[in-house]
Amino acid sequence: MNASWLVRQLCRMYSVFLYAYPREFRLEYGGEMRQVFRDGCRDAAQHPGSLHLMRFAARSTADWLASTVREGYSSLAEARKPVQRGWVAEWAVAGLVYFFVSTTLVQAYVVPTGSMDGTLKIGDHILVDRATYATPGWGRHLLPYREVQRGDIVAFRYPEDVEQTYVKRVIGVPGDRIRLENKQVIRNGSHLREPYAQFIDSSRDVYRDDFPARAGIFTTPRGRDMLARHVVNGEVVVPAGMLFMMGDNRDNSADSRYWGFVPRENVVGRPLVVYWSYDATTERLQSWSLDHLMDVATHFFTKTRWERTFRVPRSEEAAKVEP
Amino acid sequence: MRKSLSPEKLLPLTPPVFHILLALAGEERHGYGIMQDVARQTDGALQLGPGTLYGCLKRMLAAGLVEESGARPDPELDDERRRYYRMTALGRRVVRAEAQRLVDAVSAAESRLKPGFAGGKAS
Repeated sequence: MNASWLVRQLCRMYSVFLYAYPREFRLEYGGEMRQVFRDGCRDAAQHPGSLHLMRFAARSTADWLASTVREGYSSLAEARKPVQRGWVAEWAVAGLVYFFVSTTLVQAYVVPTGSMDGTLKIGDHILVDRATYATPGWGRHLLPYREVQRGDIVAFRYPEDVEQTYVKRVIGVPGDRIRLENKQVIRNGSHLREPYAQFIDSSRDVYRDDFPARAGIFTTPRGRDMLARHVVNGEVVVPAGMLFMMGDNRDNSADSRYWGFVPRENVVGRPLVVYWSYDATTERLQSWSLDHLMDVATHFFTKTRWERTFRVPRSEEAAKVEP
Repeated sequence: MRKSLSPEKLLPLTPPVFHILLALAGEERHGYGIMQDVARQTDGALQLGPGTLYGCLKRMLAAGLVEESGARPDPELDDERRRYYRMTALGRRVVRAEAQRLVDAVSAAESRLKPGFAGGKAS
């Protein structure tokens, strides 16, 4: 075995090993350490046999292990002194602010279904303002609190499964009498003209379009309960503490017509803004998968609906029209 | 500020630091020169590796025990430029104080370990 070849290989290995040292230390002394290592290596290689070289390699490895740990620790300790404190404090404050904001002020949601199509599209990522409808309490005078009103777009916990959050429009508040006649909402006897409503199906479904009717196959137990107990003279009467919600995409919306009223306490908040709108399917949006991540990574610029970004979904009071 | 630092504050020195200072007592040396001299001083018992050597030098530079004295080639080794290190006045005071501490320790040991001393082996 050629000794100078072996020395060269060892030096090359040592150059790689140097990367275990902290960057500052390596930049300052790495070159000299390589020199010293090479000199030691050459000296050891001058002795006949490989014993000296092996001993040198073993010693260098032990030295490398001990000193990387020592230098790594000392560079950490140094960094922690004044700079680290500012850094930690900054992150702690940022974390607290985030925690406060995300639990009480806003929360991010994605719209996975098309029941609000026309107003909110599948793939709209929205920020929901949780403060406005927050149950009156300590923040009542601090935050811009107001009661839920007709025409508001509201995010709420789905009464049949509170794990899910739905977004729909408020059609009826307590005391309102609601019925539909050929897709048109009649509230407290007045026909509503709803510019936000969208109709995609020209056919007439009695249950859907002339609500309330006899319970159908899509009516859930809560919906049946509503039909059984809260229908007076062919109109649904919204009881106290409840809201009647409908999707803007009237012909394709599972809403209060099918699963009943939404308790006021299920209300999460009001969509503030669409911060990102991405063209994706319902399944993809409901659970984040690797496929979805890859899709976003490769199609971010083409599948993002830029024109929807930073849109503000508005609450809109329906106009009354005479029949 | 460093000048007012009392040498005793830095004691005891670790063996690598002590021997590196001794290596620089007579003349300035580059890294490999220090390594060789330390091995000679200790009869090969202390063989510094590059990591230990430069870790110590870094801390000794920070404490003002040694200073850099420019880079130049070693006339005997090759024509590569090497950074040389020399001992500062503080370094000299510190290594003297450490040597004195060791002398005191050795003489204490000798007086206690004399043959016949209580606890020692009876001759």
